[in-house]
Amino acid sequence: MKINIDKLFRNKIKEFKVTTPDGVWSAVETKLKRRRMLRFFGVSFVSLMGFMFLFFQAEKIVTTDLQKNTTTKQLVKEDSANKFSIVPEVKTPEKVSSFVSDKSKEGQLKLISSPKNSSKLSSNFIIKESIREESFQKVITNTVVEKQLKKFDSPVNNLDSLKKIKKKDLKKKRKELVKKNDAIDSIKFEKDKRKRWNIIPVLGVSNSGRFSKNTTTLGSQRAVTYPEKYFDDNQSSGLISNILGFNVVFRATNRISIQTGIISKELRFITEGLFLTEFIPDVNPTNIVYNPGVEVRFTNTPEIGGAYSESTSLTQTIVYMEMPFELKYRMFGNLKFNTNFVGGFSFLYLNKNEIQAKSNLLSRSIGKADNILTTSLSVNLGLDIEYHLSKRLVFNSAFMFKKHYNTYLNYGNEAAPYTIGMHAGIGYKF
Amino acid sequence: MSAQAEIYKLFADKLFRVCLKYSKNYQDAQDTLQDSFLMIFKDIKKFKHKGSFEGWAKRVTVNVALQKFRDKSVLQFDAMEDSKFPEEDVFVDVDEKNISLDFLLSLIKELPPKYQVVFNLYVLDRYSHQEISELLKISTGTSKSNLFRARKLLQNKINNSKINNSKINSYENKHRQVIS
Repeated sequence: MKINIDKLFRNKIKEFKVTTPDGVWSAVETKLKRRRMLRFFGVSFVSLMGFMFLFFQAEKIVTTDLQKNTTTKQLVKEDSANKFSIVPEVKTPEKVSSFVSDKSKEGQLKLISSPKNSSKLSSNFIIKESIREESFQKVITNTVVEKQLKKFDSPVNNLDSLKKIKKKDLKKKRKELVKKNDAIDSIKFEKDKRKRWNIIPVLGVSNSGRFSKNTTTLGSQRAVTYPEKYFDDNQSSGLISNILGFNVVFRATNRISIQTGIISKELRFITEGLFLTEFIPDVNPTNIVYNPGVEVRFTNTPEIGGAYSESTSLTQTIVYMEMPFELKYRMFGNLKFNTNFVGGFSFLYLNKNEIQAKSNLLSRSIGKADNILTTSLSVNLGLDIEYHLSKRLVFNSAFMFKKHYNTYLNYGNEAAPYTIGMHAGIGYKF
Repeated sequence: MSAQAEIYKLFADKLFRVCLKYSKNYQDAQDTLQDSFLMIFKDIKKFKHKGSFEGWAKRVTVNVALQKFRDKSVLQFDAMEDSKFPEEDVFVDVDEKNISLDFLLSLIKELPPKYQVVFNLYVLDRYSHQEISELLKISTGTSKSNLFRARKLLQNKINNSKINNSKINSYENKHRQVIS
């Protein structure tokens, strides 16, 4: 019977099944580890030169002993280490033949022995799937082969059993496909680790507030000469303020990143319903230190001592240099677009402390508060999203809640402010 | 199990098959497989999800295997090979069920390297002549002529092996008759 030579080879090659020898994966794994270490030391050296703080964590490669946990088809080994059997995919009864490599003949692969043809099935065709072990002497049965063999034995139930086999095969294939895609995505995300560092400018706004009663923190003392309480009953609220700075992010693992930076953070509060008076008392009943040469004072009553007064509001501006230390945990998303939970704390250093008086006619700096501590802390919680625009650029936007502590000299933390803000920026990966 | 180990587990057997086709011996095939996986993990970002990942991984493996041929300088294509030849299919008179896979594989291994590579790429791995020419830096004419010569050589070997088998059979039959 004449057959096209291409067709002959293509049909026969479909029967070609092999099992990868042991040792290949461990060699690949060793080389991969070496590659990672070289990259890691390179990046660490570069970052050490450029930054004050380094937080890094070596990539933990979770390895499992592939050999102990995998289920594979195993070849029957007859004697030497180079011998292995190719077991054909059974459609019709076939023989099992030996394909032996003989190193003594300069490594040429030659067919050394070939059992005689037999049209009948023999026990040689039976291979079992089992857990791979050190020894190569176990015979394996193929459950698919067994089902195919059963087909020949009982032709009556052929169709049903075939359908069941096909359904199971389909399910298996679907699962494998999902696994493949997950594995590919994981590897891609891990590969992105080549650009572990990310510097993002921060530009945003925040609003300030206090959990305590909506009062100012400027009028804590009762004046001897002025029986009225100063400012405690006046409405005080936060104002929208600016955030400006940059963050540096280091991707420690697939899901966890460490973030720090330097941010200029402004807090502003307004107290309304006040008056500026030219009457200067002997005792300053407030926490305000007036600038030299300022010849007016805040008061909450329109007339004191018959002096002129004008209606005004008091704006307090506090600017901190903030150094956050935060952890980001990737909750959702993929390589392109992901959402992270952010948590951590910040060190705050007081950079500006100003009190302004604003009236209908003018706005001027009056003084500063004397009850704000130079250094304080905040605890930060929030969410951020990242959208990777390209290999190097990433858009980052964050929504953060920050509660300050240890802000005032003579107030508890309940009076310390909090900020709720949002910032965004386009970062550069390297 | 890490993602890389998972990928290895899913594709190692199939890619080892490819390596065996292009390697002279078992050890070379193992080395090619190792290098292929390293290349796959290194260049995985180049996989653009056009087609299957398995197809892409096989192409990477073929490229790695061919590089070894190039390194050994055994792929010497003669410009004069790009000559006219009959573009006809080659047939063999053989019963597919009676011919073994091992025998056919051994025939491929015995081909000269340049014929073996072109035959494997075109017939077994389904590359087009255009793709083969780009891969091996030869003309499509050279690819076609090498494929034709490979087919002819294989046809001769199969026919010769048939003749030998029939000679052996007739000798056995004669011997049996004499004994009986």
